[in-house]
Amino acid sequence: MTRGGSLRTASVALGAGTLLAVPTWTGNEYVLALGVSFATFSVLASGLNLVYGYTGLLSFAQVGFFGIGAYTAVLLVLERGWSLWTGAAAGGVLAAAVGLVIGYSSLRLSRHAFAIVSLSFALLCMIVARDWVSLTRGSMGIPGLPTPTMNLPGGIHWRIAKPADFYYLLLGFACAAQAMIYVVVTSRLGRAMRAVKLNEALAQSQGINPLAYKLLALALSALLAGAVGGLFVFYLTIVDPSIFDFYYTETMLIMVIMGGPGSFWGVLLSTAVLTALPDALRFTTDLRMVLYGGVLIAVMLVFPGGLGGWLQRRRLARWRRPRSLPS
Amino acid sequence: MDLSVLVQLLLNGVVIGVIYALVAMGLSLIFGVLEIVNFAHGEFYMLGAMLAYFLSAGMGLGYWPTVLMVTALAASLGYVLYEALLVSLRGESFERSILLTLGLSMVLQNGAVFLFTTTPRMMLTGLTYRNVTVGDVRVSVLRLFALGLGLTAFAALYLILYRTRVGKAMRGVAQNREAALMVGIDPRAVSRLAVAIGIGLSGLAGAALAPVYAVHPLMGFSFVFKAFAIIIIGGLGHISGAAIAAVALGILESLVGGVLPLVMVDALAFIAMIAILLFRPQGLFGRGVRV
Repeated sequence: MTRGGSLRTASVALGAGTLLAVPTWTGNEYVLALGVSFATFSVLASGLNLVYGYTGLLSFAQVGFFGIGAYTAVLLVLERGWSLWTGAAAGGVLAAAVGLVIGYSSLRLSRHAFAIVSLSFALLCMIVARDWVSLTRGSMGIPGLPTPTMNLPGGIHWRIAKPADFYYLLLGFACAAQAMIYVVVTSRLGRAMRAVKLNEALAQSQGINPLAYKLLALALSALLAGAVGGLFVFYLTIVDPSIFDFYYTETMLIMVIMGGPGSFWGVLLSTAVLTALPDALRFTTDLRMVLYGGVLIAVMLVFPGGLGGWLQRRRLARWRRPRSLPS
Repeated sequence: MDLSVLVQLLLNGVVIGVIYALVAMGLSLIFGVLEIVNFAHGEFYMLGAMLAYFLSAGMGLGYWPTVLMVTALAASLGYVLYEALLVSLRGESFERSILLTLGLSMVLQNGAVFLFTTTPRMMLTGLTYRNVTVGDVRVSVLRLFALGLGLTAFAALYLILYRTRVGKAMRGVAQNREAALMVGIDPRAVSRLAVAIGIGLSGLAGAALAPVYAVHPLMGFSFVFKAFAIIIIGGLGHISGAAIAAVALGILESLVGGVLPLVMVDALAFIAMIAILLFRPQGLFGRGVRV
């Protein structure tokens, strides 16, 4: 294993260990809330990274999938008595199906049309949630969601009530989702997606069907975003049309752009930094969004590759440096 | 349905449609000349309206000086915006232009929320409660002024684009950038002017509508997405197509909202846009596929 590889393994193990141990050190709800927020945004941002960073489709639809998952899970659990698990899974599946429909219809045109359609889709979701009152109860939303429970293997009945329970639930899901995305991007599938992003015609000449890979990336990110929406909403204890707020879209875009589109670890790192930093600085939401906007402009003007792109360039420069031969 | 109510709805629809058109034409002009989708366009509409509010309520300026000053300031802001940010995007990708202008929009919108809070403000002028009555139809003078300003701006834009040298140069760059460069047109000067005109129109729209509706920092945000839908329906980069689509949408929204209650009026623009993209991707008035 190379030096960089073992360093990365060590830091990932250290990071995962720290995250697992946090609730045993502190019962501080604020710290746990940051952890829940990190876990949720890491799934959304990595999904967007899969679609934009690896496959090259600028998508604003991610928040729509997130909200569809949330509403589906809530309605199934409350009105049909489904369990949290099956409700969230159904949310993810529905989101993925919707993603396939949007992708299939707009990607026939161009990736530019896809960007605009995905944006309108997210706005339409919010309007539907606000105006389809008989299903979603309109802009008042559905408050007071019950404490979910989950039957774990071994006959344990887990009541997810304390912040620490939600922390473990979302962190566990985020780890599984990240592992899935990692497997995809480091496999043949990920290489094919990159090829589609870099040069679609060339990829096609190598026997890669671009539409299939674009739809795969879109459906997978929608599945994960929908499922995490279904879990996260029980932590919020209310679902209302603000689950489709453009704020989520802007935040996850900044995370991907700053971390570097197409860089798995860069996006994860920037998600952690951008979750913790504005809270540590005690910024209000408005000031935080001003800061994010400023960061977006600066990154676009100064380093278009983000953190991951910068690291990649540094690595290439190190490889190219002439070395004295061992005598 | 009473005829006078119908006329009233129609008239309101035309006024709002003309304001949509001002914003959408600027967006379309900027897209045509620079191939940039300006996500921050709605924020200049908001800034125009906020500025009009402060000039008239804070400094006691009259209606016409306020409108003129806001338009002039917005156009100069367009110059600065082009030179400071957009100039580096020349020939760059579509995604990068979207992300850069999205960042700008976040800074402007949330900066305005931070400074002024989201409380809506009413801009009262001496004309606020004046109406014109013809038969059973009553229209406020300010709506008529907004309509007049919009139509004047249409005419001025048409004259600039089709009757002046610089307008010809602008159309030339929009059609073929390299060829325009070859015959000695400076794309930078033309782009700068296009951005200044586009932002100026957006500021004018804000100033014209400020005394009719409440002014608040989030007003530009929903507006710009509707303007996107309009320029896609009209055909990207097709300025008169955008104007026609905008007026049609304004009338449709007003009629649907007035006749059928509880229908998702705000969704109309997006549904129409998605339908257009699926069945006629070049837009209603466009020729080739340019999306």
